[in-house]
Amino acid sequence: MISVQNLYKSFGGKSVLNGIDLEIMEGETLAIIGRSGSGKSVLMKHIIGLLQPDSGKITVDGTDINSVSYADLRRIRQNFGVLFQGGALFDSMSSFDNVAFPLRTFTTMSEKEIENVVLGCLNMVELPGVGTKMPAELSGGMQKRVALARAVALKPRYILYDEPTSGLDPETSNTIDELIQNLADQLNVTSIVVTHDMHSVLNIADKAALVHEGRIHWAGTIDELHRSDDQILRSFVKANEYLIGK
Amino acid sequence: MKISNELKVGITIVVAITIFIFGVRYFEDLPLFQTTYSLTAEFDNAAGLIAGNLVRVHGVSVGSVNAVGISDETGKVEVQFHVDRKIIVTEGSYAVVSGIDALGAVRMDLFLGPRDAAPIPEGGLVGAGEGNDLFGDLTARAPAMVQKFDDVLSGLDQVLSETGTMLSEPNSDLRSSLASVRGSVAQLERLLTEERTRISSILRNVEDATGSIKTLSAENGPSVTKLISDLSVTMATLDKELISLGDASRGLTELLNKINEGQGTLGKLVNDPSMYHKMDSTLTGINALLADFKANPGKYLGEMKLVDLF
Amino acid sequence: MLQYAKNLLFDPIQALGRYSQLLFKAFGAVPEFNTYRKNLWEQMIHVGIDSMPIVMLAAAFSGAVTTVQTSYQLVSPLIPKSIIGSIVVPSMVLELGAVVTGFILAGRVGARIAAELGTMRVTEQIDALEAMGLNSIGYLIVPRVLAGIVMFPVLYVAACFVGIGGGMLVGHFGGFVPMGVFVDGAREFFQPFDPIFGLIKCLVFGFIITSVSCFKGYYTRGGAEGVGKATTEAAVASCVLLLFADLILAATLL
Ligand SMILES: Nc1ncnc2c1ncn2[C@@H]1O[C@H](COP(=O)(O)OP(=O)(O)OP(=O)(O)O)[C@@H](O)[C@H]1O
Ligand SMILES: [Mg+2]
Repeated sequence: MISVQNLYKSFGGKSVLNGIDLEIMEGETLAIIGRSGSGKSVLMKHIIGLLQPDSGKITVDGTDINSVSYADLRRIRQNFGVLFQGGALFDSMSSFDNVAFPLRTFTTMSEKEIENVVLGCLNMVELPGVGTKMPAELSGGMQKRVALARAVALKPRYILYDEPTSGLDPETSNTIDELIQNLADQLNVTSIVVTHDMHSVLNIADKAALVHEGRIHWAGTIDELHRSDDQILRSFVKANEYLIGK
Repeated sequence: MKISNELKVGITIVVAITIFIFGVRYFEDLPLFQTTYSLTAEFDNAAGLIAGNLVRVHGVSVGSVNAVGISDETGKVEVQFHVDRKIIVTEGSYAVVSGIDALGAVRMDLFLGPRDAAPIPEGGLVGAGEGNDLFGDLTARAPAMVQKFDDVLSGLDQVLSETGTMLSEPNSDLRSSLASVRGSVAQLERLLTEERTRISSILRNVEDATGSIKTLSAENGPSVTKLISDLSVTMATLDKELISLGDASRGLTELLNKINEGQGTLGKLVNDPSMYHKMDSTLTGINALLADFKANPGKYLGEMKLVDLF
Repeated sequence: MLQYAKNLLFDPIQALGRYSQLLFKAFGAVPEFNTYRKNLWEQMIHVGIDSMPIVMLAAAFSGAVTTVQTSYQLVSPLIPKSIIGSIVVPSMVLELGAVVTGFILAGRVGARIAAELGTMRVTEQIDALEAMGLNSIGYLIVPRVLAGIVMFPVLYVAACFVGIGGGMLVGHFGGFVPMGVFVDGAREFFQPFDPIFGLIKCLVFGFIITSVSCFKGYYTRGGAEGVGKATTEAAVASCVLLLFADLILAATLL
């Protein structure tokens, strides 16, 4: 279980987060939606301790991640898989090595076993045969999918996805949505999906939270989302419905 | 075969370490592979010899000095050095420290003993010969030289005062005494003028040499400055002594003038034959001394002659 | 204006504080050898072996130029030709070998490290490492600094070797001083501490160049422009600090 309490963060006087409260239950998939620049990525980085809050508390399984030692924080982080908005592939390594990296670093698997897992992951993101390619030789969407394969390779308990389907065609988007859903269902992964894509939200999420002006403006289940008459939420959903022609 | 990174790095490091060790040994002039043939020499004075200075035989570099230190037991300077294995250092060999310390060019010359003599074993002691560090000698001997000069002059002074005393005694054969004295004084004066030009030319030589050394080794600063200041002190002392020599001879002339004019107790002096004899022998002594001084000025100015070498 | 003065005073102190903090963390990560073992070999190749040709080229020329210039300046017939060897070898061993190598590495390795780490920072690769639970400082900085400390002395040895060799060859074939005389002169004034001092200097230089560049790269901000800025700053700061370290070491150890 991850909980965020009263989180404040500002960068050089410009406040980004103004008291975020959020709870994600075990096995749940939470979609975080919000306009560009509203602070979704910043919130996500706080959850794995990459950014330190100005005030507020973040607990993972009951542990305050900002008051534990660096060694303990790293141990907690090993339960996470993170897909960064820009992919963040190691550009000095091939796609294969990128996906194999967490396996080689944190497991004692043999090269043969690692190869099996890596090829399996690359297949899941519909990129068989890109193993030898360097990240610079891949398209933006392909990089994103290799990064996704890397994030899930260790089958972590928590996966944070920062816009997993942005920049992808609708067909591949659906595949990714399915992948996220499968991981959540089969491995009981707790997922946080940052996205603009309402289509994805409706497909995969159990709950959604809308970040607006540095706060969680609205949070609830997908059912509640359908029924809500909140002005800001409605306009956000509406803009999306227009886009996907629903 | 693809060379792994580990191997590449490893090989490079090993090569570097090897080059480093061999390079240092090479410039330390230690043989690269064979063991060292090392020897020891003892000196009273190292004359500025330091580790790294060359060891030469007939002017050929055959090795270098490893260490220079004061021996705990003997209190002498102990010099450890090594030479090529090809050089056979036999009994009867001796070592000499030479070169000019002030210029930083000190070395050790090794004079080998007879070829058929037994070789000195590894680590054995090589005898010490006389060095010829000009500056060092000059500086070291300057006080002794001044002392000697001083001795000569005070001896002269004493003789003169004795002469004075004798002249005041009666019963002396004034005529012959005066003739002797006059002869002696003339001789002394002549000698002094002669030697004075000589001494001043020597001093000029010293000055020239000092000047050229000064420009030559300006970068050797402190040691040369020290040396030169020592030298000028020496010269100043010499000068002073020469002035007092002049004073002494002037006093003698004055005294003789007085005798000539018949002043003092000269009447008594004429009536004492034993005094006359004494004075005569004294004057003969002065004569002999002056003659010796003239014939063999090197004996008294010996040390100064070194300066002529420049 | 006041703000400017304040920044002028506090920025360097703050930077120094962050630099030492980073070093402290890096030092703490040294025992995690497994984290950076593979990177260490890679960095040793990048820092050391890949820099070898350019370092040797520069060193050979500085040795040759020192020989030619020394013999040009020694016009007095009273000074033996062997003095050329007595000057070139210690110059190379004490100063040129280390400083020439240092400047080349500051430009070549320093800039490379800052650009690499800077890019990793702005493309969130460092965040990705951290998010996996890896110690990014241990993984990225420790092997680079260690590689600098280990390989710099190796490059120094190479630089001295070809520098003295170059000086000797140019002296011999250029008709300035025969090789044997050169070596005699070098031996006469050779101090075994000189190369040791050179090595100590190289350890310090290697540490300064790599750690400063890592610092600049690791804390890069602001996209491609930030990476460019970090790269330039890393090279400049390395060179300047290297000169200061050179002076301080000479003043304290010689
Ligand atoms: N390291 C930083 N330094 C300064 N400002 C930052 C930093 N990171 C984020 N910000 C600011 O915080 C705000 C939120 O950024 P964030 O990346 O979280 O937006 P987002 O909600 O993820 O947007 P998008 O959907 O476009 O990714 C932005 O205005 C950004 O300028
Ligand atoms: Mg974002």
